[in-house]
Amino acid sequence: MGLLSIIRKIKRKEKEMRILMVGLDNSGKTTIVLKINGEDTSVISPTLGFNIKTIKYHKYSLNIWDVGGQKTIRSYWRNYFEQTDGLVWVVDSSDIRRLDDCCAELHNLLKEERLAGASLLVFANKQDIRGALKPSEIAKVLNLEAMDGSRHWQIVGCSAHTGDGLLQGFDWLVQDIASRIYVLE
Amino acid sequence: PPSPPPPPPAAPRKPRALLVRLSRRGAAAPSLETPDASPVAAFLSRFAAAKLAAESALSACSRSSPEEDAQRSLSGAAAAIDDLDRLAAEASHLLPPYELRSALAAVSDLRAAHRLAASELRPKKSFSFRNKSKAPKNLPQDPPTLPPPPPPPEQPNPAVEAILPGLGFRGREGAILVKDLRASDEKDGDFTLADLVSCQVYLKGKYRALYIHRLRDCRVFVGAVFGSVLIEDVERCTFVMAAHQIRIHEARATDFYLRVRSRPIIEDCSGVRFAPHALNYKGIEEDLRDAGLEDDTGNWANVDDFKWLRAVQSPNWCLVPEEERLQTIDISDVLE
Repeated sequence: MGLLSIIRKIKRKEKEMRILMVGLDNSGKTTIVLKINGEDTSVISPTLGFNIKTIKYHKYSLNIWDVGGQKTIRSYWRNYFEQTDGLVWVVDSSDIRRLDDCCAELHNLLKEERLAGASLLVFANKQDIRGALKPSEIAKVLNLEAMDGSRHWQIVGCSAHTGDGLLQGFDWLVQDIASRIYVLE
Repeated sequence: PPSPPPPPPAAPRKPRALLVRLSRRGAAAPSLETPDASPVAAFLSRFAAAKLAAESALSACSRSSPEEDAQRSLSGAAAAIDDLDRLAAEASHLLPPYELRSALAAVSDLRAAHRLAASELRPKKSFSFRNKSKAPKNLPQDPPTLPPPPPPPEQPNPAVEAILPGLGFRGREGAILVKDLRASDEKDGDFTLADLVSCQVYLKGKYRALYIHRLRDCRVFVGAVFGSVLIEDVERCTFVMAAHQIRIHEARATDFYLRVRSRPIIEDCSGVRFAPHALNYKGIEEDLRDAGLEDDTGNWANVDDFKWLRAVQSPNWCLVPEEERLQTIDISDVLE
């Protein structure tokens, strides 16, 4: 038995899921992770590198990799692609000027073969801000409809500030991954 | 007779220092090392070797005379640097912060050297690799050949174009711009400052988020931001503000007087200076308190430079010397 299949088996037993959180800097990735884990979100420095959190979510154990989004470190995202079950792309819905940038980075990511099987959750974050675009508008700008039909994806409006929408998003993601990788149980 | 120990590998100064440190580590007392020391040591030696390969490929391009050879060395060097990059990234989990930072810095230095070599090799080409990339300051400038070509025409994303801009001041010159969110019913919204030249900007009240883009010779005073501030492309400006998070990109010759809950960060900046918050207006205490900014954490001085991941002080920023700092500015009388 190869190492990979052993790892897969262990993973299945513990019902582990590996979730990769990416997106431009200032989109709220770390705030989302801390909020969903019930931690204090009032003092968060921009992420220099990455954070890992293991969160129990229903009967699953989510390994969440929250990788910094500053331009300088975006080239390191690819080192976290391996074995990713779910991809969370976080968008600052009120940063209209950089939506083009955001769109380009997302589509770059989706070309990546190692992420081909991962479910994609797009969080249209900062919905509590007055000028924020609605999830439907974000979906249009990011051209999500154009995605290959083989990709499981969903866009959810949320606010890491208030917590609205976070559970709805993770519920979808976890269900979707579970239905793909634990289908035989 | 036993042969003498082999001479140390002929390597440029820096890698040799690494190798020496490595061999000492190994020789000293391996049993005393922490268990994860050996993967780190293994990484350092692999990294030193790969770095050597990249450096020699780079120096080969400058020596090769026929252009094809030089081109080949150049792409060899690019591949070697990519290898180095990957090596560093793959080891990022196990490396202590300092080693990771120095590895990343080494990679970025090599990239800069590679860009320079590439530009020297084909100065006549009518395209530039990246409009935004700047050659390191201390490197000789290219002869004044062609001015940089205009950026490729941007393909406007129709979906983005259709979006109405939110609250903000945009495209003004030599103006005094005042906004008091307490007086309007747009409470707690976000705000944008974009394309301003020689303006004085006064923002009173609490803001959920602040976006600042392309300012020249401006002075900006902001009450309280209870979310994040994103500043991009500013030159010869002064900012006085309090916020939860502050990110600064592409700022030059600009002073920041901050109160900030988390560590401010800079990226692609030069000549930026930091000092403590110095702003007053009637009611600012209340705004700061409501925004959770009543205490000064001292983080205004704990700046992270994403372009300088080393233990020594970044050359891109410093503190404003105390004798040069602005006195607390009272903007109570500035009205909309």
